Amino acid sequence: MKRLGIAACLLVTVMVQVTWAPRVTIAGAFPNLALVAVIAITWTAGVRSGMAWACIAGLMLDLTADGPLGPHAVALLSGAYLTGFWNRNLDRESFLHPAIAAAVSTALYSLVLVAADDTLGLPVPPLGVAVQLVIAASLYNAVLMPFALLLVRRLRAPLTRRTEPV
Amino acid sequence: MYGRSQSRSTGLFITLCASMLLLAMLSEQAWAAGARGAAKSVLAPLEAAMTQAAGNVDRVTSVFGDISTLRAENQRLRAADEALRRQVVELDAAAKENATLRQALDFERSFGHRMVAAQVVGRGPDGFSRTLEVDRGTADGVQPGMIVTTGAGLVGRVREAGPHGAIVQTLEDPQSRVNVFLSKTGLQGTVTGGPTALQLEIEHSLGITATSGEWALTSGVGGGYPRGLVVGELASVTHRDSSTSDQALLAWVNDPASLTLVLVITDFVPS
Repeated sequence: MKRLGIAACLLVTVMVQVTWAPRVTIAGAFPNLALVAVIAITWTAGVRSGMAWACIAGLMLDLTADGPLGPHAVALLSGAYLTGFWNRNLDRESFLHPAIAAAVSTALYSLVLVAADDTLGLPVPPLGVAVQLVIAASLYNAVLMPFALLLVRRLRAPLTRRTEPV
Repeated sequence: MYGRSQSRSTGLFITLCASMLLLAMLSEQAWAAGARGAAKSVLAPLEAAMTQAAGNVDRVTSVFGDISTLRAENQRLRAADEALRRQVVELDAAAKENATLRQALDFERSFGHRMVAAQVVGRGPDGFSRTLEVDRGTADGVQPGMIVTTGAGLVGRVREAGPHGAIVQTLEDPQSRVNVFLSKTGLQGTVTGGPTALQLEIEHSLGITATSGEWALTSGVGGGYPRGLVVGELASVTHRDSSTSDQALLAWVNDPASLTLVLVITDFVPS
C-alpha cells in the first residue's frame, strides 16, 4: 500500500514535470521535479530505496520523452547513488546539504543523460548550451530541494510512526 | 558493516544501470519500435488530463484581479495579430515569388496541404531536448518525419509516433535545423534551436544585408520542409565582415509555452 502510494506520487510528479514545469522556465531551464523527488526519497529512506524509485521514475520519464526506454532511468539512478554517498556521513536534518546534493546530482544526471544519449546515437545539445542549461537547472533544483524534503518528511512521518516497535 | 552496506548499494547500482542500459539498447531496435510507441501512448491520456487540469487551474487563479478577462482578450488579440502577421508575411513572400520564381517553382502553399489537428498533451521532461507530445499517432495517419505547424507558422517535426500519440521535436530543440530565406532581402540561412532564442546564420550576399524586422520563411532547400512556412521575425543581426555569414536572433512565431493545438501536415514527405 505504501509502495503504491509512492508510485502514485511519483507518477503525478512526472506528469507535473511534463505538463506544468515547462511553464516556469528560467534561463532556458525548468525544474526537474522527478529528480528532486528521487533525491528527497534517497535522503529520507536510504540509497537502496532511492535507487529503486529512481528506476521507476526514470522509466516514467522515458515514456514521455523521445528515444528508447532507459536513459532517464540511468541518469536518475546516478543522481540517487551520488545522494546516497552524500548523506551517509552528513547531518540528515540540515537543509543545506540536500540542496547542494540536488545541485551536484543535477549536474551528474545531465552528464549521464547526455552521455547515454550520445552512446545510443540520439541527438545531444552543443556543449555551450548544455553547460548553460545544467547550471540553471542545478540552481533551480537546489532551491526546490528543501521544500521537497519537507514534503517527503511530512508524508513519510505517519508511516514511519506506525511501523515503530512499541 | 558500513563497507558491506556500501558494496551492496554499489552492486545494486551497477545491476540496475546495466538493466536499464540493456533495456535502452533493446527498445531502440527497429523491431521494438511498435511496442515502444504503444507503451508511450499509455501515458498520453494522463498527460492530456493533467494539461487540461493545468489549464483549469490557470483559469481559476486568473479570476483574481480580473486577469481572466484580460488574458482572454490578450489571447484573442494575439491570435488575430498572428493571423494578420502571417497574412502580411505570406503576401510579402508571395509577391516576391510572383515576380521572380513563380513560373519556375512548383510547390504547394502551406494551407494547401492536408493536415491533422492535434492537441499538445505534454512536453519533454528535460531542457536538453525540446519536444512536445501530441494526442495523435499512427492511427490518425501521423508518421515520423511529418511537419508540424500552427496557424502562425512552423513548430517542428514528428520524431516518434505511437498509435495514439506522437513526440514532436520543436524548433527550440538545439538539434533542429531549418533552411530559411528572408522575406525582403531574399538572403538564405539556417535556423538552429537554442534554450532562449532561435539562432539564424545568414549567408553573405554582395551588397545585401539583412535587417531586423524581416521575416524568415522555410526555403525548402534540402527537402526537409515545404517552402513558405513562416518561422520567425529577425530580432537582431550581428554583421561580421571577417566571416562569410552573419549571426542573427530570431523571434519564433510560436510561443512554446502557450502552444495547445498544432497541425500535422500529412501529405508532405521530406526527402
